[in-house]
Amino acid sequence: MLGSLMAARGAPWVGQACRMLSLAVMTGFAAVAGATVDPGKATAPRMEFAPPPPGSYKLQNIQRVSDAVLLDSAGQAVKLSALTQRKITLLTFFYTYCVDPLGCPFAHETLGQLRDRVRADRRLARRVRFVSVSLDPTHDTPQTLADYGREFAVDPTFEWRFLTARRVPDLLPVLDDFGQDVSVETDENGRATRTLHHMLKMFLIDAHGEVREIYTLAFLQPRVMFNDIETLALEGD
Amino acid sequence: MQIDRQMISNRSAAVIADVFAIADVFAIAKVLMITGAFVLANVFTIAAHADETCNSPYMSGLIKGQEDYVHVWTLGVPGLGDGSDKLVTIDANPASKRYGKVIDKVSVGGRGEAHHMGFTDDRKYLWAGGLDDSKIYVFDVGTNPSHPKLVKTIDDLSAKTGYAGPHTFYALPGRMLIGNLSNTADRGGVTGLSLYNNKGEFIAKYDMPTTAITTAANATSTAGKKTVTGDGYGYDIAVNPAKNALLTSSFAGWNNYMRDLGEVVKDPEAMKHFGNTMVLWNLKTMQPEKIFAVPGAPLEIRWALAEGQNWAITATALTSQLWLIERDARGRWQAKDVAAIGDPAKIPLPVDISITADAKGLWVNTFMDGTTHYFDLSDPQHPKETYSKHTGSQVNMVSQSWDGRRVYITSSLLSKWDKTGKDNEQFLRAFNWDGHELTPTFEVDFTKEQLGRPHHMKFSADQKRVASLVDAAVR
Repeated sequence: MLGSLMAARGAPWVGQACRMLSLAVMTGFAAVAGATVDPGKATAPRMEFAPPPPGSYKLQNIQRVSDAVLLDSAGQAVKLSALTQRKITLLTFFYTYCVDPLGCPFAHETLGQLRDRVRADRRLARRVRFVSVSLDPTHDTPQTLADYGREFAVDPTFEWRFLTARRVPDLLPVLDDFGQDVSVETDENGRATRTLHHMLKMFLIDAHGEVREIYTLAFLQPRVMFNDIETLALEGD
Repeated sequence: MQIDRQMISNRSAAVIADVFAIADVFAIAKVLMITGAFVLANVFTIAAHADETCNSPYMSGLIKGQEDYVHVWTLGVPGLGDGSDKLVTIDANPASKRYGKVIDKVSVGGRGEAHHMGFTDDRKYLWAGGLDDSKIYVFDVGTNPSHPKLVKTIDDLSAKTGYAGPHTFYALPGRMLIGNLSNTADRGGVTGLSLYNNKGEFIAKYDMPTTAITTAANATSTAGKKTVTGDGYGYDIAVNPAKNALLTSSFAGWNNYMRDLGEVVKDPEAMKHFGNTMVLWNLKTMQPEKIFAVPGAPLEIRWALAEGQNWAITATALTSQLWLIERDARGRWQAKDVAAIGDPAKIPLPVDISITADAKGLWVNTFMDGTTHYFDLSDPQHPKETYSKHTGSQVNMVSQSWDGRRVYITSSLLSKWDKTGKDNEQFLRAFNWDGHELTPTFEVDFTKEQLGRPHHMKFSADQKRVASLVDAAVR
């Protein structure tokens, strides 16, 4: 059914329909669809406090990242562990045609702000990478990711990788390991639409491959996230 | 066995009746608290949190329309059905042919004082705790909410932390923060918070403060009074991410909540062991920053989460007051009592509360007089009771739908604290609320249905018009 999503790609009405749907849903926390479940309006994260200074707190070891084989935007098989170790990694899941204002675009906008701040510290910039993993391998081919990622590759020295999977079953263990939910909205005939529902999550992973913080929409506070990155960097110093 | 328990409970009821016969119990309690003895008739409590409006704000899939199912975490009763704690699922959609009926029950194969539960952040799983055996049961409610499945039992809480009595299950992103009630060393009320990831793996523990805190935030205590010392007790958890704030409240340990209520009341030493504090934590650092004196066992905590709101509210079980925890104009967090619940002199025992989605109203159940109250919170500094109704001989939990149109009530407090005889009604009662009157819609008699003592409720709904990635890919 996701194949039909691919087939529909590029049709002018699709983008508009997605936008309308997304504006109606405004998920961000995405969530399930259906008559009885209404995620309602998501709200942008607010920050009404001074973040604790880097190194003044400990980020807990939440879970270890399991390894998997995915595809990079050049179509090369890549071990996930190669991109979740040896650097501090911010990993998120997305899909290229997501237009939810508080969904994937918001996540990447937040990451863009963070990248600019990290780049300002060259020593830190060498120790940090971002990884964006597609939730829709059927549509988001390596070439699609390469096209999409170009917008974010403003600095070739900063590592921001876009990954997909050869097929959906290759992705499922990764989603399961991270606890990333995703479902596909269907129409009245049970056919998949172009709307994926997922809870926006970002995972901060230390250089040893341990998840140390998880951000959902309410916690996408760039100043706090930057201090968390610095806190992990201080651990390694 | 059942007869013995009945006899003991009847004695408890008599003791409570004696206590209530004292003309000015509340005044006496005040004196006792002032002298530090705190031997109040301060006893019977514990509630829970429930409803849609009181879930962790980070959870996905809040049900803002009609809920399809109400899941009820139910205490087993010896000789009733299989006698085990169980998750009972009731059809709550008026459009269903099974409306108001029990459609599923999942026994956990033992009795461990089922009490509270909470969804994971993705709402796929429901974690439910036992206050006696400290076990945590994880039910899959995402795959088929009409038929939950027990998929995991976590039994290392006490071994990992030394805590006991997992009470509040509060979803944080990718993990579950648990507020505990007791400890394994002396089974008293000194306890802490425990943190697990969504896979059920232990991450960390955080002791409730037992000393005064020396942070700047705590330097100026409530109303300029001297700095408050922590009592180490725990109960509820509530987070406000925009303020990086975590609030906790305090109740009592295993020695009290697993003891016959009448015995507790008669034991002056036991009566000293109830919580009298709330703690403000820095959520990022998980360090306590300020301790508030909130006498009389502050229980459920609810934040007003809308932009511009700077407060949370709680109810004290023993002193029957609503307390506001508010950030003042100078940015300092303060706690103050803002309204009485019922007549505190009669010790109505407020237990559960449920705040409306817009934080303009609050339901409060008082256990002893079986009354459901509604407070207008338009001015949180001056809550005003605008409605009340006798909803049962004993009422504990109250849960409302997101739109506020439906209200659900259950009866049980604790296995050893519930009333006895004909007053030991065990039910879930559903009502419609039109802003003026609670109108009964359906009722499930948990004794007649051989289920047990119903406590905490959570809602779920069928996921219509969605497919999994795999299903979407292969169709």
